[in-house]
Amino acid sequence: MKRLVIFAFLALFIFACAQKEVTIPDESKRPHDAGKKESTGKEDVTTIDKENIRDNALSEEDIRREMESISSDIHFAYNRYEITEESQPILRKISDWMLKRTKVSILVEGHCDERGTSEYNLALGDQRAQAAKNYIVSLGVPASRIETVSFGKEQPLCMEKTEECWAKNRRAHFVMSK
Amino acid sequence: MKIIQIIKKRLSGKQSGKQSGKQFEKQSKRLSQIVTEAVLLTVMLCLVMLCMLCPVRGEAKVYLDITSPGLRKFPIAIQDFSGAGEGVGISEIIRSDFNFTGLFLVLDKGAFIETSDSPFNADNWKPLGADLVVKGTIEVAPDGSLGVTVSGYDVVEMKNILKKRYSSRRDLVRPLAHKIADDLFEVITGQRGLFSTKIVFVGQEGHGRAIYLMDYDGQRLKKIVGRGSITMKPRWSSDGKTIAYSSLRNMKWNIYTLDFDSATEHLVYSSAGTNLVGGFTPDGQYLLFSSSSKGSPDIYMIHLRTKVLSRLTYEPNIDVSPSVSPDGKQIVYVSDRSSVPQLYIMGMDGNDSRRITFEGNYNTTPEWSPAGDSIVFTSRTGGLFQVFTIKPDGSAMAQLTSAGNNEEPSFSPDGRYITFTSDRDGTKGVYVMNVNGEGQHKISPRNIRAFGPSWSR
Repeated sequence: MKRLVIFAFLALFIFACAQKEVTIPDESKRPHDAGKKESTGKEDVTTIDKENIRDNALSEEDIRREMESISSDIHFAYNRYEITEESQPILRKISDWMLKRTKVSILVEGHCDERGTSEYNLALGDQRAQAAKNYIVSLGVPASRIETVSFGKEQPLCMEKTEECWAKNRRAHFVMSK
Repeated sequence: MKIIQIIKKRLSGKQSGKQSGKQFEKQSKRLSQIVTEAVLLTVMLCLVMLCMLCPVRGEAKVYLDITSPGLRKFPIAIQDFSGAGEGVGISEIIRSDFNFTGLFLVLDKGAFIETSDSPFNADNWKPLGADLVVKGTIEVAPDGSLGVTVSGYDVVEMKNILKKRYSSRRDLVRPLAHKIADDLFEVITGQRGLFSTKIVFVGQEGHGRAIYLMDYDGQRLKKIVGRGSITMKPRWSSDGKTIAYSSLRNMKWNIYTLDFDSATEHLVYSSAGTNLVGGFTPDGQYLLFSSSSKGSPDIYMIHLRTKVLSRLTYEPNIDVSPSVSPDGKQIVYVSDRSSVPQLYIMGMDGNDSRRITFEGNYNTTPEWSPAGDSIVFTSRTGGLFQVFTIKPDGSAMAQLTSAGNNEEPSFSPDGRYITFTSDRDGTKGVYVMNVNGEGQHKISPRNIRAFGPSWSR
C-alpha cells in the first residue's frame, strides 16, 4: 500500500513536470526537437505512457478545455498578416499541444478590425489564419490537421471605435474542430 | 394569356417536380413569384408593343441631349392620369423617376390649368414654362387589369410626340409606371431609361444575413437568398438574368450563382480557403473570382457551363476583387504586392499587370464603368473610406463622397449613377448618387443594416 502511494505520488510529480515543460517552451529544442521527447530518456517514456492513458480517459470536453487554456488569440498589426514576436510563444504552445494530442484537429479563424472594405478584409483574415497555420505546421504539426476560415471584419469581438478595441479584433482565433 | 399559363406551369412544375438539393426551398416559391411577375409584365408589355396605336415618332428628335456638359434642366409637366384611382399614383412614380435623374424640372401639378381629362392645349402650358406635357387615361378591363394610354405633347411645336398603350395587372402599378417613364425618357433623350433596373444588396436583420432585391428607387423590397452565415456583395451578369455571390456555409466559402429564370441556385466553386466572386465577363460565359486554395488569394476565371478553371495570378500575396472591362479585354483588381492594397489592370490572360493607383495606401473594390472610360473604387483618406473614380490610365482620380464611410460602389447600367454603402447616419445603408457625386440619398429601408449593393445591367 505504502509502495503504491509512493508510486502514485512519483507519477504525479513526473506528470506535473511534464506539464510544466509543455507550457513553457524551450527555445533551443524547437522547432526540430518538437515531438521527439520519447527518445530522450526513461522518465519521458513514462510521461508519454501516462499521457496516453490520460488521453483515453479524457472526454472531448476535457480536451477542448485543455485547448482553451493554452490557445489565446494572436494579434496582428493594422492591415498586416505577419506573425509578430509576441504571437510566437502562443503558436508554440498550440503546436506542442497538437503534437501531444495527435487525434485533435483545429480550425484557425482569421479576423480583422472594421477599418477596411469587407471583401479585402476577408482576404486579409484569410492570410492571417494561414500565417498562423503555416507557423504551427513549421513546428511539425501535419497541415492536414489544421483548417482555416476567414471571417474578415464580420465578427468583431469588440465594438468600440478605439485603437485598443481594433487591436483586439485583428486576431487569429483557435478552436478545436475534432 | 396562353403563354402566361404555360410559363406559370413551367415554373410551378420546376418547383414541385424534381426538388434537387441545389434548389431553394422557401426562397424558390417567393422567387418564382417575382419571376412570374416579371414574366407576366414583360409578356403584357410585349403584347402592348404590338398593338401600339400609332408610332408618332417620325425622325428621332432629341429634346434633351444628356451628354452635353452645360445642361439646362428640361421642364416637363406630368398630369395625374385620369379614369381610375391608380392614376394619381402612377403619375407620382413617373414624376419621382424624372426627379431622380436630376435632368428635369418636374413642374408642380398644383399650378396646372388644364384638367387631366381635357384635351391638350399648348396655350395652357406655355405660361408655366413646360416644354413637354404628359397625359394619360386608364381603363379598367372586366378582368380587373388596367389599360393605360399615355400621350406626350411638344408644347413649342404643339404636336403629339408619343402615344402608347399599356396593360398591366392592377397590383403591378409600380413596374408599369417605371416602364412608361422609361419610354418617355427614351423619346426625350434618345437614351435608354434606367427606371426598370434593380439593385441587389446584402441585408442584416438581427443576426441573419440575406440577399435582397429592390427596384432602383428602393421600393418593392424582396428577400431572395436567405442561406449562409455570411454572404458578400453580389455581382450581376450583363444580361441581368443571373447574380453571383460568395457565401460562408458549413465553414466553407462557396461561390454560387442565382438564375432568375429558373429560380435556382447553383454551386459554382468550392474549395478550402477563401473564395470570393468578382465580375462576369461581358458575354456572361465566365465568372472571375479570387481563391486562396493554393495559399494566397489569386485571381481565377471559371467557365460557368464547363467549370473549366484558369488561374490568372501567381503572386505570393493578396489578389482580389476582379472586374472585367466592358470590352472584355482587361481586368481591374486589387493587389497588396506593393505591401498595401492598390488597383492593378491586367489582360484576360493574367499578363501585363500594371498599377494604376499611386495616391493613398488603401485602394479597393474596383468596378469598371459600362462605357469603359472610368473605374469606381474605395480609397481610405483621412482615416475614412470614400468613393473615388479614376481613369483606366491612372489619371483624373476624383473623390465623390465625404460624409461618414462610403464604400463598395457599383455603376448603374447607363453609367450615370453609382450605388454604394454608407454609414453616414450611424447604420450601414445603400445609397445612390450621380456619377459626379451630386444627389446622394439613402434608398434602403431603415430597419435593415444594408451593404454590398450591385446595380442590375
